[in-house]
Amino acid sequence: MVFRQTARRTVRSGVLWGYVFGLYVATQALAYASSYKTVAQRIGLAKEFGANAGVSALVGPAHDIQTVAGFTVWKCLAVLAVVGAVWGLLTGTRLLRGEEDSGRWELLLAGQTTRRAAAAQALVGLACGVAVLWTISAAILVVVGRSSKVDVSAPGALFLAVAIVAAAAMFLAVGTLASQFAATRRQASAYGGAVLGVSYALRMVADSGTGLGWLRWTSPLGWVEELQPLTAPHPLALLPVVGLTAVLSFLTICLAGERDLGSSVIRDHTSSAPRTTLLFGPSGLDLRLARATFAGWGVGIAAYGLVLGLVAKSAGSAIASSTSLTRALSRLGAIGTEAYLGVAFLLMAVLLAFVASGQISSARAEEAEGRLDHLLVRPVSRSSWLVGRLGVVTVVLILGGLVAGVSTWLGAASQQSGVSFGTMLQAGLNVVPPAVCILGIGALVFGFWPRASTVATYGVLVWSFLVELIGGVVGLNHWVLDASLFHQMAAAPAVSPDWASGGVLVAIGVVAAVAGGTAFSHRDLKGE
Amino acid sequence: MGAKAISTEGLSKRYGNVHALESLDLEVAEGEVVGYLGPNGAGKTTTIRLLLGLIRPTAGRAEIFGLDCQHQVVKVHRHLAYVPGETSLWPSLTGTETLHLLGRVQGRVDEAYTQELIRRFDLDVSKKVRAYSKGNRQKLILVAALMTRPDLLVLDEPTSGLDPLMEQAFRHCVHEARERGQTIFLSSHILSEVEALCDRIGILREGVLVEMGTLQEMRHLSAFTVEATFDGPVPDLSRVPGVSSVEVVGHLVRCQVRGTVEPLLQVLAASGVQQLLSREPSLEELFLAQYGVNVEPEDTSANAG
Repeated sequence: MVFRQTARRTVRSGVLWGYVFGLYVATQALAYASSYKTVAQRIGLAKEFGANAGVSALVGPAHDIQTVAGFTVWKCLAVLAVVGAVWGLLTGTRLLRGEEDSGRWELLLAGQTTRRAAAAQALVGLACGVAVLWTISAAILVVVGRSSKVDVSAPGALFLAVAIVAAAAMFLAVGTLASQFAATRRQASAYGGAVLGVSYALRMVADSGTGLGWLRWTSPLGWVEELQPLTAPHPLALLPVVGLTAVLSFLTICLAGERDLGSSVIRDHTSSAPRTTLLFGPSGLDLRLARATFAGWGVGIAAYGLVLGLVAKSAGSAIASSTSLTRALSRLGAIGTEAYLGVAFLLMAVLLAFVASGQISSARAEEAEGRLDHLLVRPVSRSSWLVGRLGVVTVVLILGGLVAGVSTWLGAASQQSGVSFGTMLQAGLNVVPPAVCILGIGALVFGFWPRASTVATYGVLVWSFLVELIGGVVGLNHWVLDASLFHQMAAAPAVSPDWASGGVLVAIGVVAAVAGGTAFSHRDLKGE
Repeated sequence: MGAKAISTEGLSKRYGNVHALESLDLEVAEGEVVGYLGPNGAGKTTTIRLLLGLIRPTAGRAEIFGLDCQHQVVKVHRHLAYVPGETSLWPSLTGTETLHLLGRVQGRVDEAYTQELIRRFDLDVSKKVRAYSKGNRQKLILVAALMTRPDLLVLDEPTSGLDPLMEQAFRHCVHEARERGQTIFLSSHILSEVEALCDRIGILREGVLVEMGTLQEMRHLSAFTVEATFDGPVPDLSRVPGVSSVEVVGHLVRCQVRGTVEPLLQVLAASGVQQLLSREPSLEELFLAQYGVNVEPEDTSANAG
């Protein structure tokens, strides 16, 4: 039972992320191959980045980036390792500590399964998810590798896929072990997050060219880098990866057997002094419950913005040396730093859209798990509850946009990149409308088909992102492109924000939310 | 008294082909305590969720204090408080924080009574909800409902998970509420609780209200039990008019009698009866009779009831 439940949910998520990983790598490879056609261009790029200590601290050292394979690995591996680690961590804590917290394990364990066996079953279920993640990314990489532009051998592509999912596997195990130590899912994610932070920092120091390269072997993210897929494959580096995953899984099973169901190795603070400032009503409650999540996203966005700002100048000049990209972007009226930021801010928009989708998902959870009943049987109308909730998220999205703009400006200003504060502030606000639109679409689905709201909202988000990503490389039909919300967004600061289409996105979001809110006011509340 | 706290007209709810509730006509007067009985799946919770406006009726309407339950939800909810049987609260909030939030949302709270309730239910409100047992969560939500002193209390199996002591405390609170003139609608399958607390009782079966009245009225409608002990051989009572469920154990005979007892008395008097015992049916017997289940498990004789 535990196996089936866990496997079903991890596999579903593994399929989705398998496509995202595979297509992300594929588009980066194809984009490089078509943007830097000549050897001279590629050597130029390699010169720009190859010796840049700042860039290599952020995304790892550049090996052979004058080749498609080298560039792709350099561009994707470190990024996807972090994304995969976050995925693994959140999936592990959600399916172990989260399920246990919700009381579902209690039901399952009332059968014949022991806690130890249940934990083992859950781990096997998670392993299935990793297997699917690998299979799908590997399949996409093998297919793309056959293209003459990319030209990567099948074994090479398979090993690249291994490297990409290695961090996901290790941090799944970290998440499951953290679930044994912590009493709540959030706490477990925080412990795992700390491990990830330390790993990243160690790898960063190791790659910053200060003669501390050996530190790479102390960080799980460093091991991923040491695999050096495509450029100089080093399968021995898989040993610590497999070893860590196995040891953590073993410890998880042991600890699960040692403790009581619902308890944790580290004792939980079960009492606390009341803090009632925010508990004045439904909107205040939302803010209180989601403040840690919002703060987490805020820190993430600020950190990403800072990093973008720091590398923008050198990355921008590399783009400027690529004639085809420059031509494409100069038509839009920008070259250099601002052009780079314009492209990179797509990911900012995606991050904000994730914040919006997450809040639709949690609104649905409030309904499905019956907590919403306690508010709606009191003098609170459904529409005021929903409006309050969407209002809080919208304010948070705007703040998120501002944080994106300001943090990027700070990073860029520290490098004397000459990007103005006003421009970056506008660029930050420019990424808000797609997120607001997704929030509205989420509210629409929540109103009409509540049980589909989470899947549909993330579906729109992932679809929009993939279309925009692929469309930039292979020239999709404009109807398909127009169906991506991110395609409606101007690539600020490369170009000035298009407030008219931003307004249209917001308007669509508002209309969708009003329709969804009306439907919600007239339907039955639905459990899971 | 006399005004309607709850009234429904042809209230129905269908899920696909399943009739969860069929054409319910129910009236509860202000100040009344009404018990609502039925096994799992009979439609008790469906009725309550319709009254609360959490789900929409397929047909019919419901009013609380003359206000429409679907279209005047916010006004209706100013008058009532609800306790569900299964409680899922916000795990990261403490008891105090939960009560503060729910009190603020409701708008009126009797602070002194809240403290009294917390004491009476022996609740540690400094703990986080996630650390509460099921019983403690139930107590918390009972306090949250009672502390607002609502005009109408809607209780859906409110004592599930409470120990006998706490159940006693709950009954005490219901008595108090009733003395203050509050109306109570209590859905339950703990029959002793309903018997002890309620003025009137409704019995629901497969979505249909099959019985509604005071316990006395329902007893008149039903058979009562007669037990007789004889010196000699036991006469055949199965042919006596009004008698059913005859059961013989040695010299003892037990049977159910519906309507007048006279024909039975004549037969008994003629047969040398030594001891005669008659008692009214308990709510449990009434309830089980409604569902066509024999009260006595060993009763294998003809059951014409």
